Amino acid sequence: MTANSLLQVSNLHVEFTTYGGIVHAVRGADFHVERGETLAIVGESGCGKSVAVQSVLGLIPIPPGRITQGEAILDGHQILGHQTIEGKDIRGNRVGMIFQDPMTSLNPTMTIGNQIAEPLKLHRKMSGAQAKKRAIELLEMTKIPEAAKRASQYPFEFSGGMLQRAMIAMAIACEPDLLIADEPTTALDVTIQAQILELIKDLQQEVGMGLILITHDLGVVAGVADRVVVMYAGEILESGTADEIFFAPSHPYTLGLLSAMPTNRRDVVQTLMPIPGSPPDLFSPPEGCGYAARCPQAMEACVANRPTQFTVSDSHFSKCWLHHEACEHRVLEVQQV
Amino acid sequence: MPRYIGMRLLQGIFTVWFIATATFWVMHSIPGDPLESEKAMSPEIRANLEAKYGLDKNEFIQYWIFLGNMVRGDFGWSFEHENRRVNDIIAEQFPVSATLGILAIVFAGLGGVLWGALTALYRNKWPDVLIIILVILGISVPSFVFATVGQLGIVTLNKIAGIDVPVAGWGTVWHMLIPALVLGLGTMAFLTRLMRTSMLEIVNADYIRTARSKGVPIAQIFSRHQLRNAILPVLTVLGPSIAGITTGGFVVENVFGIPGLGKYFVTAVQQSDYGVIMGTTVFYGAFLVLMVIIVDLLYAVVDPRVRLNK
Repeated sequence: MTANSLLQVSNLHVEFTTYGGIVHAVRGADFHVERGETLAIVGESGCGKSVAVQSVLGLIPIPPGRITQGEAILDGHQILGHQTIEGKDIRGNRVGMIFQDPMTSLNPTMTIGNQIAEPLKLHRKMSGAQAKKRAIELLEMTKIPEAAKRASQYPFEFSGGMLQRAMIAMAIACEPDLLIADEPTTALDVTIQAQILELIKDLQQEVGMGLILITHDLGVVAGVADRVVVMYAGEILESGTADEIFFAPSHPYTLGLLSAMPTNRRDVVQTLMPIPGSPPDLFSPPEGCGYAARCPQAMEACVANRPTQFTVSDSHFSKCWLHHEACEHRVLEVQQV
Repeated sequence: MPRYIGMRLLQGIFTVWFIATATFWVMHSIPGDPLESEKAMSPEIRANLEAKYGLDKNEFIQYWIFLGNMVRGDFGWSFEHENRRVNDIIAEQFPVSATLGILAIVFAGLGGVLWGALTALYRNKWPDVLIIILVILGISVPSFVFATVGQLGIVTLNKIAGIDVPVAGWGTVWHMLIPALVLGLGTMAFLTRLMRTSMLEIVNADYIRTARSKGVPIAQIFSRHQLRNAILPVLTVLGPSIAGITTGGFVVENVFGIPGLGKYFVTAVQQSDYGVIMGTTVFYGAFLVLMVIIVDLLYAVVDPRVRLNK
């Protein structure tokens, strides 16, 4: 982490008040992303990865949601609870966002061109004609054929993959410093997935923005991420470079995830190992390590004490008592992946 | 699009024919006929009258004559209103009813959308609770009660403010406002509920979140993203609700002493005034069919998904 990260989120806590009680969705998340870098946030459904990022931008509904602690610094400015930096909008201008389901994430009664032009008119004060022209250029950038004709069409006239391209065009319209892609390929079929990821990568290099990629697909992560953050039960268990996470995981949960991932290498004879059990109840989160109940290497200490962060290398951190010096240093078995 | 409109018009013509035919046979199966009255009539006079109005002919022949005249737009003479053609009655009275009805629809539509959007914005806060209570009143209290309450209101207002808003009758804009409001009230209440539900559904829609992530200000999200989508279900029921307002109009016209078509519509059935029954029924039927088609076309304007499917 450097002093002037593009985005630095520290000790973020988010809660939701529901009829069933208070859900502790995010319980102390720290992550940062640099300019031009790709950070992947991985974890299973409901682990708080989307909530963490959306709450930073003020996109979670408040109430019932509530940010109880933490800070988020974008380019040196505190942005939690703020919509602007020095009078300029953050959302849509400094930070662009792509969502999971392109079929429902676009307004059905507004043309694609108008939807892309909207942030340009708002943040760049473009005239209608200028914004429309720019919208067509953006559609061309995202490789949509016949962009001029497509711009005056409605979302129902687009396929899923095309809609996601239009979403991307909209998110990068104002050349943001940071692009957040919240499961951008989950709703798409595999061939389209690859195209969309490639497109996001290309545009990231072209525009030079930081990218936060939220996903539960480790295959996607391996292909595009520079650094990876592994989330579980509302907290970050491990973070490191993509190579460190994939080839030298230092947390039993990461190890479990990797063992559950299929490989197509012929020389590896591998059976998929599921992680037994299910994530803890976030209405009353466990006192100790969130993963202790499912962890094959859990110790007594894990149940009662929340692990602190251990440094594995300069860029590699793990929240697991196995790294404590008093622990008889059980070796984390790294499987061939 | 022209093809679609053509199809709808053709369907409409069939509907009107069906209405006309059904009404004709039901009307003729009711005991009694237009020539029956308190005064005794000698068989000769009766035979003469029957011959004059064509009632001596076989009913199937009468039906064919009626259909032929209807196609030419002629509904013949009234039996009860001496020397008045049914066409003249419609031409004179219908514009009054139509003005009242259209004004009521405008009140109902605008009011429903406005109140519905407002309740959704203030969900579970006091404006929402208050409006919803009024909505339940509006749906469950019949219009003749509102009509008399409306008149009472006008009288009181005149007394307090020292002005002279007419309590009944027809002629100026002041004659129209309160009756139209009363007439549209039930529909407005119903549309408010519908609008509220559809607004609340859309508040949580993914594309609203997208709009927020683009940094669109709340007022603009409301006007450009929410309203247009939320209005769709309201438009769907607007067509059929025109029928409700038309039938409600008879009562309101009666209470406010408005010289509309409603009076003829109701009394003609009691008097077995064949010409007026057929004229008003077919005319209203055609009018409603046309309105429903117009609302459907309006729907296609608001929702782009409808256009290409047909």
